[in-house]
This record gives sequence, C-alpha cells and structure tokens, in this order.
Amino acid sequence: MKKKMTLMGIFVAVLGLMMFSGCAEKKAVVTDSTAQQPAAVEPAKTDALTAAQAALQDINFDFDKSNIREDARQIMKANADFLIKNKDVNIIIEGHCDERGTAEYNMALGERRAQEAKKYLINLGVASARMKTVSYGEERPLDPASNEEAWAKNRRAHFAVVK
Amino acid sequence: MIRCKKINLIKACFIIIVIFFLPVASAAKIYIDIDSPAFQQFPIAVTDLNNISPDAATAPAIGAALADEIKKYLSLTGIFNILDRRSFLEKIEPGNPETLEKVHFPDWSLIGADFLVRGNLLHDVKGITVDCRLYDVTRGDKLLSKKYSAPAAGQKELAKNIASDIMLALTGDEGEFNTKIAFIVKSNQSADIQAIDYDGENQHKITGHQAIMMSPRWSPDGKYLAFTSFRDGAPHVFIKNLRTGVEKKVAAFEGLNLSGAFSPDSKRLLLTLSKEGIEDIYALDVDTLKLRRLTHSYSIDVSPTWSPDGSQIAFVSNRSGDPQIYVMDADGNNVRRITFEGNYNTSPAWSPRGNRIAYEGRSGGRYQIFSIDAEGNNLLQLTFDNADNESPSWSPSGRQIVYSSKTHSRSRICIMNANGLNTRILREAATPLVMPAWSPRFK
Repeated sequence: MKKKMTLMGIFVAVLGLMMFSGCAEKKAVVTDSTAQQPAAVEPAKTDALTAAQAALQDINFDFDKSNIREDARQIMKANADFLIKNKDVNIIIEGHCDERGTAEYNMALGERRAQEAKKYLINLGVASARMKTVSYGEERPLDPASNEEAWAKNRRAHFAVVK
Repeated sequence: MIRCKKINLIKACFIIIVIFFLPVASAAKIYIDIDSPAFQQFPIAVTDLNNISPDAATAPAIGAALADEIKKYLSLTGIFNILDRRSFLEKIEPGNPETLEKVHFPDWSLIGADFLVRGNLLHDVKGITVDCRLYDVTRGDKLLSKKYSAPAAGQKELAKNIASDIMLALTGDEGEFNTKIAFIVKSNQSADIQAIDYDGENQHKITGHQAIMMSPRWSPDGKYLAFTSFRDGAPHVFIKNLRTGVEKKVAAFEGLNLSGAFSPDSKRLLLTLSKEGIEDIYALDVDTLKLRRLTHSYSIDVSPTWSPDGSQIAFVSNRSGDPQIYVMDADGNNVRRITFEGNYNTSPAWSPRGNRIAYEGRSGGRYQIFSIDAEGNNLLQLTFDNADNESPSWSPSGRQIVYSSKTHSRSRICIMNANGLNTRILREAATPLVMPAWSPRFK
C-alpha cells in the first residue's frame, strides 16, 4: 500500500514536472519544433514505464527460503501475463532479505530468490533475455523496523522495469 | 560433539578444552604458552623508566609516560594482567643506572608479578634512548636486554617496539602491534571501507564508493584489499592496490559477484558467483583473471575461506536445508559438513594456526561467535552477551578474534582472545560498523 502511494507520488511529480517544462519550453522557444518533440514523447514513455511498474507486483518469501510460495503464484501468473503482453518491457528482478542473519549469506539468498523468480517466469513463458537479476541482500529493506511484520515485507522479490 | 545448550557448562569447559596443537615455529624459547589449557592472564610489572639524563629533574614525568605507553600496548594483547605501580615494593633509586640490573626478586614475587620490565632512559636534543630489561621473576632470569633509540616525537613507536620484543621473548611471535582492522562503515543508504590500527587509533578511509559495500579481504602479503561494491549498480568485486591506490574490477558477471578470501600465497581470490544461475564458489587467478569453478551443488555456496596451508577451503552451504559450515579440498573435492549444532551457522574464518575455524551461529535468537576444529569437533561458544555478534576474523598470531557486535542502538567492533575472554571495544558508533577483517602484519 505504502509503495503504491509512493509510486503514485512519483508519477504525479514526474507528470507535473513534464507539464511544467513543456509549458516553459513553449514560451521560451516557440519556433524550435525539434525541441518540443522529445517533450511530447517523454511523458508517454514515462507513463508506460510507470504503468508497467505498477502492474508488476512484489512477491514475498519465508525466512531463509527462496521457493515461490503458494500465495505468490497468482501474483507471478499476473506478472508473467503482463510481461508476455508487453514485450517491450524488460525487467531486473531484485532479491531482498530481512535484516536477520549474515549479510554475506543474505546477499546470496537474495540472489537465489531473484533466480527462483526468474526461473518461474521463464516457465510461464517470459523470455530469459528480458530478465536480469540483482541481489540487495538485507541492505535495502522496505520497512526498517525490527519486527515480524517488517521482516515479512522485506523478504521479497521486486520486479524493476528497465528504463 | 559437545552439546552447547548449557552455556554454563561450556563456560566451565573453556579452560579444559581449548586445544591448540600446532606449535609456533620459532627459535625463541616460548615462555608463555598462552594456548595451554591452563592459560590465564600473566601478571607483569612495568616500572617507570629511570631517567638517568643529566637534566632528569627537568623532565621527571617522561619515564612514567613511556612506561604507561608500554603498558597500554601490552594490555592490548589480552594476555597480561598489568600490575598497578602503587603495589610495587622495591623502589628504584632515581637517576642511578645501576638499579637496572639490581633486582630484588622476592619483592616482585610477593606482589604476584611473574614478569618484570624495567629500563633506563636517556634523553637529549636528538631524542631518547632506552636500555630495557625483561625478567622472569620466578626464576630470576633475564629474558630480554636491549637498547632502543627514537627521536623525541617517536615515543609511541618506541613503546610499541619494546612491547613487540616482550611478546617475542615470551610467546615466540611479535604480537599484532603492526596490524590494522578494515571494516564497513554504513551511513544512510551508502557505505565505505575504513581501517583502524590495532591500538584503536588512526582510523582512515580506504574506499570512496559511497555505495553498498561488503566483504573486505586483505591479501596475506598486505599489498591488496579485495571487496564487493555496488558502485556501478550491482555487486562487483574489486581489488585495491594499497600502495598505488589503484582499484581494479575483477569480477562483474551477471548476478552476484561476492569477494571471498585470498589464498595464503595471495595469488588467488575465492569468489561467490551466480553467473551460471546458482551461487557457487570459484577461485580467481589474480594476475590472469582466469576462473576455476570449485562447487557445483544446486544450493547456495558462499563465504569461502582458505586454510593457512592452502590445502582446504571452508565455506557456507545450505545444501542440507539451512546454512552450515563445510570444508572441502582446495580443488573442490571431498566436501564434508563440520557444524551440526543449531540451524544457522555462517561466516567461517580459518585460524592462521590451522586448527580452528571461527564462525557465527544463531543461538537463542541472537547471533554468537563459535569456534570448532576442522574435523567438526571441540565446539566452543565464545560470545554470550545480549547482542548480535558476527563476522569473526583472526589476528595474524591466531590469538585474538575481531568481530562486529550489534545491539538495537549501538554498533561495535570488538577484539577478544581466541578463548572468548578479555574482550575490548576497538570502535563504537551509533551507525553500523560491520564485517571487520584483520590485516596481516605490516612492517
């Protein structure tokens, strides 16, 4: 929920910036038509990226596990469907862990989570070449709190759209 | 296999089962066998150096200051109980050089001193000269007799040299005085590697990446530091030449690139790579950058460290279902599991003495430091406090272990003796200080 809000916030902010810069350009360089073209294209592209990012949902994992959980399968199916329909969207799958345990081992565990998610999407028909993996281990928690709720949120694979 | 459920039992067993069976190669007679089962701190008396300079009266405190400096270094080793000067019975005659060799040993054994350090100090415009003696009080033997000189500003170095020679005379090696500890300093979303001297001074930056940083590893020849950095957006392994400052990216494959330990000859670096889709261990030739894959299991294999003779590698694998410590031959063959207590054992570090592997394990909801021998016997729990104690790294002599200790509000880098006793805080901060790595000795 918090993340959706953040994404919305970024979307609105970017859109606002685009509109503002577009207006400024119109006023300043009315005769320069080439300068306006990118400004016209960019919001559409940003729009698509934002939409793609919003469509791809995170999945969560159990402590010290990398298997795709029962409750993650529906999400993975939806993610795969979206990627199959939108062939121009490439992704980096980020693997994350909670803060408990060894940072080094967690870096490997995060990579394993990303790899498992990638394999799952390949099995659902997404081309391997469109996906890369990166592990952030325990270094980038969504929720910095030290409790079960935060840890459950932080053990995740995030599907970041490549810009 | 020792059950480690009863902490008190283990504590009681410390003294009985610390087993270090490789002798230290040295021609010197080893006076203090600190690895013996009966080891306890050795009481030593360091008298204020006797200022025999003609103008001694103008600088009366210099002898006491230098003695304090020597005591400071000796106490860092964790093996001495430094006796308070106020307990001394034998008074030395100020300015009389003869008192250096005239020791009334009963006065020292009476206050419980096993060893006695005393010296004459001579200072002039060029600097200071110290004529130093170390005595075995019980036997009445002279163990060390040496002259030292230094410029006036070089007192610290002089004290360090004297402490080094005392260690050499008593233990067979010079101690850890000329070593550093590298560690990761985190702030907000970025981190960098810093290093600090053994005495807790001279903290300085080693990298300027301001990114996620991990796993610093010194080369045993002291020339390089390998580490993992997200500076370019993903975990890549770098090797920094510590003399020139040049950093070279040596592994940037798809997925995970994580630095492991250097080989004893500093020519190869162990890595964890996921370029084949599985996190496995590889050995990288540092000059040619040729890779050799060592593990092929369908599991996480990570955190590799070499045995001091280079014949074996300890690492972490979850092939049994949860992370445990394994040992294999250096070519990847003959893999065997060595930890069976607990369900989360990671971060192995192989003692330079060859016989013990330190690691961190989850115990009672916390992470604590343990050590075990390479065959998986003689398990010892070394830390017990209410903190997460992680990332053990051995001193070059194998007598001390540095580790990170985290509570909810404080982060510390601590040093303890290999038996878990005599812990001291090397560095403390409110922001995370993690993954300490002990350097080799620098000259």
